[in-house]
Amino acid sequence: MGKGLEVKSISKNFDGVKAVKKFSMKLQPKGIISIIGPNGAGKTTVFNLISGIYKVDEGEILLDGFNINKKEQYEITRYGIGRTFQNIRLFKGLNVLKNVITAYDAYSKYNMFDATFLSRRKRRIDSEIRDKSLYCLKLVGLEKLKDEKPENLPYGLQKKLEIARALATEPKILLLDEPATGLNPSEVVDYIDLICKLHEDMELSILFIEHRMQVVIELSEWIYVLDFGETIAEGKPEDIRNNPEVIKAYMGE
Amino acid sequence: MSFIISIITFASINIISVLGVFLITGMAGLFSLGQASFMAIGAYIAGILVIKLGFPFPIAIIIAVISGIIFGLIVGLPTMRLRRDYIALVTFGFGEAIIAILNNTVSVTGGAMGLSGIPKHTTIWLAIGSMVFCIFLVINFKYSKFGRQCMALKSDELAAKSIGINVVKVKLITFLFASALTSYAGVLYGFYTTYIDPNFFGWTHSAEWIIIVFFGGVNSLTGTVFSAIVLGTLPEILRFASEWRIFIYCTIVILIINFRPAGIFGEYELNIKTFKSDIKNLFKKINSKSEIVTKG
Repeated sequence: MGKGLEVKSISKNFDGVKAVKKFSMKLQPKGIISIIGPNGAGKTTVFNLISGIYKVDEGEILLDGFNINKKEQYEITRYGIGRTFQNIRLFKGLNVLKNVITAYDAYSKYNMFDATFLSRRKRRIDSEIRDKSLYCLKLVGLEKLKDEKPENLPYGLQKKLEIARALATEPKILLLDEPATGLNPSEVVDYIDLICKLHEDMELSILFIEHRMQVVIELSEWIYVLDFGETIAEGKPEDIRNNPEVIKAYMGE
Repeated sequence: MSFIISIITFASINIISVLGVFLITGMAGLFSLGQASFMAIGAYIAGILVIKLGFPFPIAIIIAVISGIIFGLIVGLPTMRLRRDYIALVTFGFGEAIIAILNNTVSVTGGAMGLSGIPKHTTIWLAIGSMVFCIFLVINFKYSKFGRQCMALKSDELAAKSIGINVVKVKLITFLFASALTSYAGVLYGFYTTYIDPNFFGWTHSAEWIIIVFFGGVNSLTGTVFSAIVLGTLPEILRFASEWRIFIYCTIVILIINFRPAGIFGEYELNIKTFKSDIKNLFKKINSKSEIVTKG
């Protein structure tokens, strides 16, 4: 069992704008925590730093005690950090199933020769990852729509497809960027169930950003509150709800 | 008869080189404006090996294709990390540099006079066989992990990285595969025309190939092959209008961009599955029409 994800006082500047200031957090294995805060607080930047899209200016990010600061984005994914995006980023030229298969492709071990000459190994691996991908789609309930184009799906299902694709990278830690934004109330309930299922059945650690308090309070074991890049509070859901600093950040004075 | 044979041979060779551009532009979404120089590399290296060093033809092919891959590595290794527009610039520069080198190393390549006296080894059957074989390879590439990863990174590079795709590596593999195909097409070309000169392989040729791919449909191999046949043979058939070729191409590009931005075939691929459903739809249409007629 690993030690989970540990972020030690990371900072990031964009041309003098301090997007994240000395942010620290800890995600235990099988933990589920969230980051909240007003718009522009730096939540997504934290995600982008963890998943390697940006490099941190100072501080360190440790995955199972191993420093991943300088790693490429795809390497970090292969170490076991999967993620979804706030504004959905699915692959347009590929159908629903292939969107998920592509995530397995990054790991499948056959070479150019196998691919171009249709070797038996290629066919075996391809059918294996096809089955695995169908399983991922089944987990999120999209197996019936496997031949659709992703851009034709309704918004809520596109979000689920993104989760299925992230699951296909076989992550230990899943980063969900505003999973419930833009969903109607019944979809949100559905969504909470899904995340619970992933967390409990698949024993994933989950870190998510969310604006809907219903989701945050119901799911999180621990909450970090960011405002202008600074951590203004952290704690259990009930403490956060009554914290005057947090209320001030959200409501103004 | 010999006219038809030459058209078919040229069309087959053209298809092989356009397949390379299909991989780069259609699959990976990159632009190589120096792709024709890989054809030059293949043609010149095989030609020189056979004429001046007396190599047998098959070994010359292998060496030429491997050199194409090595040159691809020289260009691709540093550039595939760059943004797409810079890749177009660098490949453009590389292509023109190759032409300049060929023009100036007179003692080896014959300079602007060209390299003549290449034995005619390319027969129509070799050309057609090679074309079918290369199409087979490219189809398999498209429906393998490489093809899917290419489509993914073309559509969204950031998301592709986020699911663990090594974007630079996939682009490089695609580029090398394309270089190999194009240089092989160059060998066939050189050993068919028996004479090659550097200016044939300039950037306009690469640009023509990109137009062919866009004309057929960027995501469709069927479309690419189709338009390679049509646009590749049109100038041969319309010899008398050869000055108008560029004009015709430009008109086609403008029409395509305006009316069918995804190309003629779009994403359509011809295979057993789509063929069956097409036939079914056709029958449905005919039936519904005849119904209308009988009702009327």
